[in-house]
Amino acid sequence: MRYPRRGIAVVAATAIARRFPNVTAYVRTMALFVAFWWALARWTANPALLPSPFAVVEAIIELVADGEIFMHAGISLGRMLLSLGLASLLAIPLGLAMGLRRTLDELVDPVVELLRPISGIAWIPLALFMFGIGNVLPVFIMTYAAFFPILLGTIAGVRSVDRRLIDVARTMGVARRTIVARVVVPAALPALLVAVRLGVASSWTAVVAAELIGAPSGVGYAVEWYRELLMTPQVMAFIATIGVLGYLTDRTLRALAQRFTPWATQLEGVR
Amino acid sequence: MNAPVKLRLENVAKRFGNAGAAQTTAVQDFTLDVPAGEFLVIVGPSGCGKTTVLNLLAGLELPTSGTVVLDGRVIRGPGPERGVMFQDYALFPWHTVRGNVEFGLRHGPAGAGLDAAARARRVHSTIDLVGLAGAEDKYPHQLSGGMRQRVALARLVANEPDVLLMDEPLAALDAQTRIILQEELLRIWGQDRPAAERRTVVFITHAIDEAVFLADRIAVMTTHPGRLKAVIDVPLSRPRNDATRAHHEFQALGQHIWSLIRDEAYRATVT
Amino acid sequence: MSAWAARAARSVVLPLTLLVVWEAWGVASGNRRTPTPSRVIGAAIDLVTSGDMIEAIATSLARVFAGFASAALIAIPLGLAMGAFRSIERNVDPLVESFRPIAAIAILPLAILWLGTGTPAAVLIVAYAAFFPIVIHTIAGAKLVNPTLLRAAATMGLGRWKTVRTVIVPSALPSIGVGLRIGMGVAWTAIIAAELAVGAKAGGGGSGGIGQMMFVFYAYSIELNRIVACMIAVGIVALALDRALRLALRYAMPWNAQ
Repeated sequence: MRYPRRGIAVVAATAIARRFPNVTAYVRTMALFVAFWWALARWTANPALLPSPFAVVEAIIELVADGEIFMHAGISLGRMLLSLGLASLLAIPLGLAMGLRRTLDELVDPVVELLRPISGIAWIPLALFMFGIGNVLPVFIMTYAAFFPILLGTIAGVRSVDRRLIDVARTMGVARRTIVARVVVPAALPALLVAVRLGVASSWTAVVAAELIGAPSGVGYAVEWYRELLMTPQVMAFIATIGVLGYLTDRTLRALAQRFTPWATQLEGVR
Repeated sequence: MNAPVKLRLENVAKRFGNAGAAQTTAVQDFTLDVPAGEFLVIVGPSGCGKTTVLNLLAGLELPTSGTVVLDGRVIRGPGPERGVMFQDYALFPWHTVRGNVEFGLRHGPAGAGLDAAARARRVHSTIDLVGLAGAEDKYPHQLSGGMRQRVALARLVANEPDVLLMDEPLAALDAQTRIILQEELLRIWGQDRPAAERRTVVFITHAIDEAVFLADRIAVMTTHPGRLKAVIDVPLSRPRNDATRAHHEFQALGQHIWSLIRDEAYRATVT
Repeated sequence: MSAWAARAARSVVLPLTLLVVWEAWGVASGNRRTPTPSRVIGAAIDLVTSGDMIEAIATSLARVFAGFASAALIAIPLGLAMGAFRSIERNVDPLVESFRPIAAIAILPLAILWLGTGTPAAVLIVAYAAFFPIVIHTIAGAKLVNPTLLRAAATMGLGRWKTVRTVIVPSALPSIGVGLRIGMGVAWTAIIAAELAVGAKAGGGGSGGIGQMMFVFYAYSIELNRIVACMIAVGIVALALDRALRLALRYAMPWNAQ
């Protein structure tokens, strides 16, 4: 009974491998990486320092089974979504206004440029003092971190709207307010979504630092918690989780962008 | 021609920049009458101010001196009675063909008094007129250059403007598509219909054969500064088609205009 | 008032107003510890004259440069190779893309586990953080080479490696420059984060750097004004690094309009 199934599996795998050379390369590279890791772990023979890949997989399975990964991941994701919402609510309207009115831009931009070099992470000590360890601190840091990329990206997006599109609407006699709502905003939407993606990336970097230092829960906290216990497989499990979540959020946003702005050419150059 | 004067430019000059050495004069001493229903083509070497004249007629720019008048009233800004078609189409990428054509009717004064059904009917008939029936739900990025140009034309015509202003609309197309669209343009303009039913058109190009094929009259401009050099009648009979191009009068007119422009065109390649 | 003067006035109005409001709020609160612009300036002067600030910044900068240089030395050649040769990209990319979403700071506990709480761990984190933007932008730069230029090189009979050196590298330089600038920004943020985290976990001791100094002011001496002074220093150094790098890049690429 088993032979036909195995045969089919082999044939299917070969067919897929031929059609998707990238997948083959992916699997091959990761397999080599894992093999190298395993050998190194055997050689150092110190499971607290470098656990074997299998120990990490075991830890992942365990953590998934008892739901711990989902709990922490959910908390961190929740904080990120909240921060993203807050940052967008503040930055997008401001960015639109600043992009459209030069005088407002000249007024607000100096403050923005003075605060921007001070990364969200540099705010952690002060924020610790203001909010203490808890939920507010990560959200504050992450909102701050997401705010600047979204604001600057929105301004750039508004400024880069093709002048001709606005002229077309003007020649049709469309009122200025309608032009902003019906031409500028849709035209700037692709750039705006890119700005939000950058905000997410910035925010996700900040979450780990913020949770590592100043939160009682979340993936950053979990990484540090297990490190103190010298349970390195679990540390790596959560680091992998951080990576997976970051990747998934970026992919989701890109899919959303593709769905809502299908005309935007993927000429970003950099992924 | 006993048609009333639709557009009048009187001693129009347009200068850019602050007073002093940095100021450039784009157009100077420009005086021209355009009778209603005429197809006027403005021709000249690059940089002679043709686009500036069009922008002045559209109301996108205001003259530094002199007046631009429509139906006896001075033009103070853009409006749907003077529709504009740009060289790079400037279609709204987030709208389908239908959405683009409908835009001016939905958001501008040209659609005042039209309910949704009436609007839909006009959009439908306009799309039919330009030959794009069946493509209503496509997006601009899915269309060829020729199709995009038809959409731009439809968007313009749907507003039923008195005057059509076109800035090198066929320049971005390959030579074969150009010829087809030139004939389409004349058909849509109404060269098969009596003169009284035609709209006024001001068309800019630097292709002389295109000018002779399309125009009732040709205004030849020179550069540095932009000035009206000559106004030439094109007595070729309508409707115009491939046979027109073979006509000896067609060739003679083309040669005459070229002789007026040639020296400047040469100088443009060496300065 | 001329247009220029009006613009200059507009650009200082908001910052000045905010500073005044802040000062008033701080003084009104009555608490001597509340940070205000005047107290922060005082704290900054203290820190600078005592040499603490300079030492801390110097330590942090040294780590940043070490990490940044290491990252660049690996990322640029690798990125060029990946951008120029599809086979290399296909095989290395899975690793790059798998680790890219993992922020440098997440690796910190591992780095501390392996290298302790000192400078080696910090440099590793910085290098890891800076690596990704540099390699990504280098790959993009190498890929964005105008294919017509490549064809021209081929018709002139240039071999594979010569083409890389004479056509691909100069074409990719602007993009590499962008990657370096982003990498420098990320590196500076990473060192602050790393030093903060180390300071939080290793107690008051440890190896200095401005991040740790900030944490000490929070956890041990509750010197809020000093914290704010450090934050401002962090911002100033970030700006200075970016400007310096931009100048260096302009020298390296005089033909580039950026």
